This record gives sequence, structure tokens and C-alpha cells, in this order.
Amino acid sequence: MKLLKKINFAGLASLGVLLLLWEIFTRASPLLQLYFPPVSRILLSLYQLIFSWELAGHFLASLGRFLSGYLLAAAVAVTLGIVLGHFRTAYSLSEALIEFLRPMPSVAIIPVAILFLGIGDSMMVAVTVYACTWPILINTIDGVRNIDRTLIDTARTFGLGRWKALGKIVLPAASPYIVTGLRVSLSIALILVTTSEMIVGGSGLGFFILDEERSLRTSNMYAGIVLVAMLGYSLNRLFLFLERKAMSWHRGMTAGE
Amino acid sequence: MRWDGESRLNGLLVLAAVIPVWELASRAALVNPLFFPPMSKILKSFFLLVLSGDLPYQILLSLKRAAAGYLLAALVFIPLGIAMGLFDWVHRSLELIIELARPIPPPAMVPVAMLFFGLGDGMKIFVIFFSCAWPILLNTYDGVRNIDRVLIYTAGTFGLSRARSVVKIIVPAASPQIMTGLRVSLAIMLILVVISEMVGSTDGIGHFILDSQRRFKVDQMYAGMISLAVVGYALNQLFLLFYSWLLAWHKGLTRKQR
Repeated sequence: MKLLKKINFAGLASLGVLLLLWEIFTRASPLLQLYFPPVSRILLSLYQLIFSWELAGHFLASLGRFLSGYLLAAAVAVTLGIVLGHFRTAYSLSEALIEFLRPMPSVAIIPVAILFLGIGDSMMVAVTVYACTWPILINTIDGVRNIDRTLIDTARTFGLGRWKALGKIVLPAASPYIVTGLRVSLSIALILVTTSEMIVGGSGLGFFILDEERSLRTSNMYAGIVLVAMLGYSLNRLFLFLERKAMSWHRGMTAGE
Repeated sequence: MRWDGESRLNGLLVLAAVIPVWELASRAALVNPLFFPPMSKILKSFFLLVLSGDLPYQILLSLKRAAAGYLLAALVFIPLGIAMGLFDWVHRSLELIIELARPIPPPAMVPVAMLFFGLGDGMKIFVIFFSCAWPILLNTYDGVRNIDRVLIYTAGTFGLSRARSVVKIIVPAASPQIMTGLRVSLAIMLILVVISEMVGSTDGIGHFILDSQRRFKVDQMYAGMISLAVVGYALNQLFLLFYSWLLAWHKGLTRKQR
């Protein structure tokens, strides 16, 4: 009974109706099919593309760029954020620079990256790192600055060294902020990867989608979009899963003390 | 407070120091002057481009598209978010569709938009509309859902009709969160207008920057980026101004009722 209540019948029904209308209308009009292939054909294309391994290369290329860009940005931005949040002089020196660079939409850095790094993987990773750095950096700085000073002072009084206090107090206390930054950057990373793939071409899901559109293989284009959406969705799920794990450790620690 | 003033000064000094260091490094060929033209050259072409009306023209084109998509998204998705927050059946029937469409990275919609609208303004407006939709919709929904039910019941008890209570109670009570959604979307809007102009356009600031790079007019490329930073900053400040104006009205309303 409980399970029945959990299923969203209204949602399933409206989704079903939408897909059915899509299928019926596109089957009825050949002109419409050019832009909107029937759902069944999109799914068939997706199936064929996946099992002929045609998409695997593009998928892995995008995933690789995403992971290296995102993880690199996380490492750099969290470290930098802790330094800037902890040392007021460092923050005051860099504040204007940050405030100047931050409002610029990060995709504007793509031409610069092409200039310096050409059109290879390193350029795409670099722009991803640049764009993902901002939310993580700003949130980490905020998180570290908002830590109750008593926490740190207490730790110091009890004889914890600077480094130990960093690992035991500062990082855990700032982690809710850091996680927020990491979460925002997750979707930004995917945006930057697909965009740079579209602009420089070559490989990756972004390139695949644009290329199929240009060759008017519309159902393949939609199949690519479905795959990108699935990638985004599963990365988000994975993140939520990891977050719950990390935060439960955090909760456990505070409860234990 | 004294420390705060000091920090701003220090930061500005660093920012000011970047300019001569860049200039010298470029002139002395410590860095490749092709990639890093002297700062004086960048600033000169920035001012020339501004004065000749070239940059303002491109930016105006981009802003026009951005505003159209953004306002359209606000016009459609704020009411929809309110409806979702008020009526559970609306929320339940749209929930799955939203969950399926939301993870699509917005740039992936650029090719779809190109298919339908070609390379014109419609394409950019659609992409911006699509990508601004989610923050606006979900924040409005959240805002309406989190309204203190007592407020709504009280309005009902005092005989306010449904339509009037939406205008008088629900929209004002949810407005802080609606504004949050609008603010998030503002940044997304700027990103997407640049992306769509880079991928498929013959004008606009996004195309200008990429095109300058491709023609190795590097000083113009940097000039375009500076102008974009200025626009981004100005838009944000403008929004904050609008926000505090709206909040002041909101505050005034609550004070009067007391």
C-alpha cells in the first residue's frame, strides 16, 4: 500500500501523454519528423549508438575531461579557499582581483584557452578548472571565515598544532559550505565540457550532438542529448550519495563528542 | 570596520600592480607578446572599440537577446512555480517531466535550437529561456511551499478570494526566494548568451571575442572580455539595486500592516 502511494501516478500519466502525443504527431507529419523524430526512433537510435560502441569514445572523452577538470578544480579551489579564508592579508590582497574576474562569464575564457593551449584536451580541462574554481573558492572562503573562532581557539588551547587544527577543526567546520560549492560546480563542469567540445570540435558528447545536428541526423542528436542528460543525472546522484556519506561521518563525529 | 577599508585598498593596489607588471613582462618579451599584448595596447583598443561604438553595439545585441529570453522565462515560470506550489496535482503531474529535462546541460540545447530557429535571435532566446527556467521554477515552487500556512488561512478567514490572496499574500511572501531564483538565472543568462553566440552566430559579444581570437586580434579579444566583465558586474549591481528597492517596498508593506 505504501509503495503504491509512493508512485507518482499523475506524473507518470502526464509524462506518458506527452510522449504519446509526441509519437502520434511526429508519425503523422513527415515535415515535423525532420525536427522531431518520434520518441521510439530516438530511443532506437540511442540503443543502436550505445551497442555499436559508436558513442563510447565520445562518452569516455567527455567523462575524462569532466573528471580531470572537476577534481583538479576541487583540489585547487579548496586549498586556495582555506588559505584565503584563514589569512586575512592574503584575502585582502586578492579580493579586488577576485571581484574583477568573477563577474565575467566563465565561457569567455575559452578563446584565451584556445590561444594558449590549442584545441586539445588540456584546453578543455583548463576552462573547466577555471569555471569550477569560482563557486568552490568563494564558498570555501565563506565557510572558513564563518567558523566560530572559539572552536579554533579551543583547539589551540588544548594544544593542537596549526596543521592538526586545520584537519580536525577548520575542514570539518567549513565542509557544509565547501560541499555547496562543489555541488554548484558539478553542473558548471558539464556545461563547460560540452561547450568547449562544441566550439573546438573533434570528440566528446558536445561535439557529437552538434555534428549530428549539422548532418541533419536528428534522432542521433536527441539520442546524444538523452545520454548527456543521463550523465548529468547520474553524476548528481553520485554526488548526493557521496555527500550523505561524508556528512554522516561529520554528523557522527559531532554526535560522538 | 577599519580593517575592511584597509582590505579594499590593498586589493585595489594589487589589481593596479597587475597592469604595470603585465605591461613590462609583455614589453620585455618575458611572456609571448602575441598571447599577452602589452596592457596599454589592450586598454587602448578597449577605449577605441568603445568610442567607435563597436563594443557597445555588440553588447547591446547580446543584451537584447539575453533580456528577451530571461524575461520570457520569468513570465512563464514564476506563475507555473506558483501554481505548482499551490496545487499539489500540478506539481505531481509535472514533477517527472521536470526531473527528466533538468539534467540536460543547457549548451546541449544549442543544436536543437539551431535546428528549429536557425542562427537568428530566436535560437539564443530559446536557449536562454530553457536554461533560466529551472532556477526560477524551482525557487518559486520552494518559496510558495515554504510560506507559513497560517498566513494563507488567515487571508481565507478574512474573506480574501483565492486570486487576491495570491497577489496579496503568496507573491510577497515568496518573493525573497523568487528573487534568489532570478539572481541565479541572471548569471546563467549571461553565460548562455555568450555560449550560443560562440557556437552559432555572426554577431554579439560572444562571437566578437571568439572571432577576434581566430583572427589573432588578441588585444581586441581581451578588450571584449573586459567589457564582458564590466557588463556582468553592472548587471549584478543593477539587480541588487532592484532587489533592495523591492525589499524596501516589502518592508514598507509589513510596517503599514503593523
